[in-house]
Amino acid sequence: MRGLRLSPGMAPYVLLSPFLLLFAVFGLFPLLFSLYLAFQVWEPTDGLAAMHFVGLDNFRFALGDAWFWKSLRNTVWMALASGIPQHAVAIPLACFLQAAFRQRWRDLMIGAFFLPYITSTVAIAIMFSSLFSTDFGLVNLGLATLHGLPGLSWLTPDHPIDWLGRPENIKPAISLIVFWRYVGFNMVLYLAALQTIPADLYEAAAMDGASHLQQFRHITLPSLRPMIYFAVTLSVIGGLQLFEEPFILTGGRGGSDQAGMSTAIYLYRMAFDFNDFGAASAMSWLLFFMVAGLTWLTNRALRPQGPAQ
Amino acid sequence: MAQVTLSGIRKRYGSVDVIKGIDLQIHEGEFMVFVGPSGCGKSTTLRMIAGLEDITAGDLLIDGVRANQLRPVDRGAAMVFQSYALYPHMTVADNMGFALRMAGVTAAERSAQVGRAAETLRISHLLERYPRELSGGERQRVAIGRAIVRKPKVFLFDEPLSNLDAALRVNMRIELCRLHAELGATMIYVTHDQVEAMTMGSRIAVFNAGGIEQVGAPLALYDRPANEFVAAFLGAPRINLVSQPQADGSAAHRALWTLLADGRPDRVVRVGWRPEHVRVVAADTGIPAQVVLAEHLGDTSILYLRVEGVTELLHAKVAAGGPHLQPGVRIGLSARGDTVIGFDQHGCQVS
Ligand SMILES: Nc1ncnc2c1ncn2[C@@H]1O[C@H](COP(=O)(O)OP(=O)(O)O)[C@@H](O)[C@H]1O
Ligand SMILES: [Mg+2]
Repeated sequence: MRGLRLSPGMAPYVLLSPFLLLFAVFGLFPLLFSLYLAFQVWEPTDGLAAMHFVGLDNFRFALGDAWFWKSLRNTVWMALASGIPQHAVAIPLACFLQAAFRQRWRDLMIGAFFLPYITSTVAIAIMFSSLFSTDFGLVNLGLATLHGLPGLSWLTPDHPIDWLGRPENIKPAISLIVFWRYVGFNMVLYLAALQTIPADLYEAAAMDGASHLQQFRHITLPSLRPMIYFAVTLSVIGGLQLFEEPFILTGGRGGSDQAGMSTAIYLYRMAFDFNDFGAASAMSWLLFFMVAGLTWLTNRALRPQGPAQ
Repeated sequence: MAQVTLSGIRKRYGSVDVIKGIDLQIHEGEFMVFVGPSGCGKSTTLRMIAGLEDITAGDLLIDGVRANQLRPVDRGAAMVFQSYALYPHMTVADNMGFALRMAGVTAAERSAQVGRAAETLRISHLLERYPRELSGGERQRVAIGRAIVRKPKVFLFDEPLSNLDAALRVNMRIELCRLHAELGATMIYVTHDQVEAMTMGSRIAVFNAGGIEQVGAPLALYDRPANEFVAAFLGAPRINLVSQPQADGSAAHRALWTLLADGRPDRVVRVGWRPEHVRVVAADTGIPAQVVLAEHLGDTSILYLRVEGVTELLHAKVAAGGPHLQPGVRIGLSARGDTVIGFDQHGCQVS
């Protein structure tokens, strides 16, 4: 037995080893391997020996590839269209829930808003494909009903809309789903931050003559700033890696005219449909640099200011 | 400068009556102190005057105008919070100028007024700092400065000094009195500390359980308390309350009662005897008592005394007692002058 006893110095490493092992196999190795692959040409069906070094060719190819640029534009479009409303809605919504509901009801509302976030993407995508279905979807049914009402006919279309088939509709539909999915998550973050703002700040502001709107502007928003910074950073990183929602809604191909093809989808197809692992790796590293750059910009723009704490 | 009138003010939270009808007239330029034990409704009353709490019933008049429904800012009152409630993301200058900014005052005029207020409080060198870069005392000054800048008709303070250490508290007490003299403004000051009440107030309102027990000048309340509650609340150490002995009371108790209550109306069932009016004499000349504990403070000594048959210990505050006054020592007691206060069975003063 004595021989099996762990020395105190080793114990932490042994206890951490399951995680370290999994991380090495599924995290670190693919990371390094993709970095390596980005400088190789490789036909995976010919085995590992088929790799050979091509320098920066893969990067040159990616930067000259029209579809890669198109996928970047799609990604940024959808990240903005889903991301900005997420925060623009989540902050006022959190303030409203904070002000209007007692603890128990508030918790119930939080649960309801949080539900989409923990629901499987596949279930969400299937649900929305049927909601957005051209002939039988609830969305078109609703629009048709509105169209029938007097006074609203000029606002609403007179024929069913092909949401997921026509290129100009795909990005808005996907953005809406992404917005719907993450707005509750952001709201929970903001609600948590709101609860840390001392009530007497609002009382002091009321004594100073600030209206509710001015209190929001001068007390709430500055106090939320650290959380805004955190939540927007998450949205930037998440939005640029957008994959599951468009992948399922467009059948894994990016939709007609590649209108719903995010960069993550394109590089997935590059690797697994077109078998060009080298170019896919190069693109994934380009995407990474873009995420890093935009995160840095977010940091510059929203980082809490004032003297060090 | 304004006068504030409370008439029949009540506050109810759900089914709980927190303030049970307050009538009070606060004169122009007065320093009114609300004092009372924790939870008696001082803050609630102050916040109703400020406009931070709705008034359940009764009228609040500021300068003769009914203010129940006015917004806080329209009542012309400024408040200093116990927590200071400084805006953490604004500099001291922005904190102090916030009310002016909300009122639409131009930046130049704002900084001039903030500068003047900062000079009054000697915090001009702090204007560019953030609240978290200030000490407790400095934050306190900024909070007061924020109130001054608006030139309010009434200043409201809710235990503004209780987060400061003892030395600073004395300084700020003096400072606030100076400020009151300088501005001549009406001030309402909430505290649970009877020393603050005694030293700062032009008048004191003693609160108890949602009502006011007595209003008056500090020394008037001290010398002529309306009832046992007021007598016991003001003064440290606490006033001694000695009850009439039962028929089978001890000899010492009966002698003490005769000493204190002789010649008073029959209604008197209890007397109040301030510790500084207790005189210590030789053991065989006065009421026999035994020292239980002696606190020698240097200038004075506080003695805790047991008189046989009296349930509560008596407090005596005597000139520096010397080392012979130790626990266990037997002494005699006599009264100093005719300073005993008589109370009837309801605790009301009998004069
Ligand atoms: N928002 C509230 N809801 C219910 N009860 C309250 C509320 N605020 C204060 N109270 C009660 O009112 C009483 C008076 O409180 P307060 O005015 O803060 O006392 P204090 O004299 O210590 O300042 C307390 O018993 C307190 O529990
Ligand atoms: Mg209080």
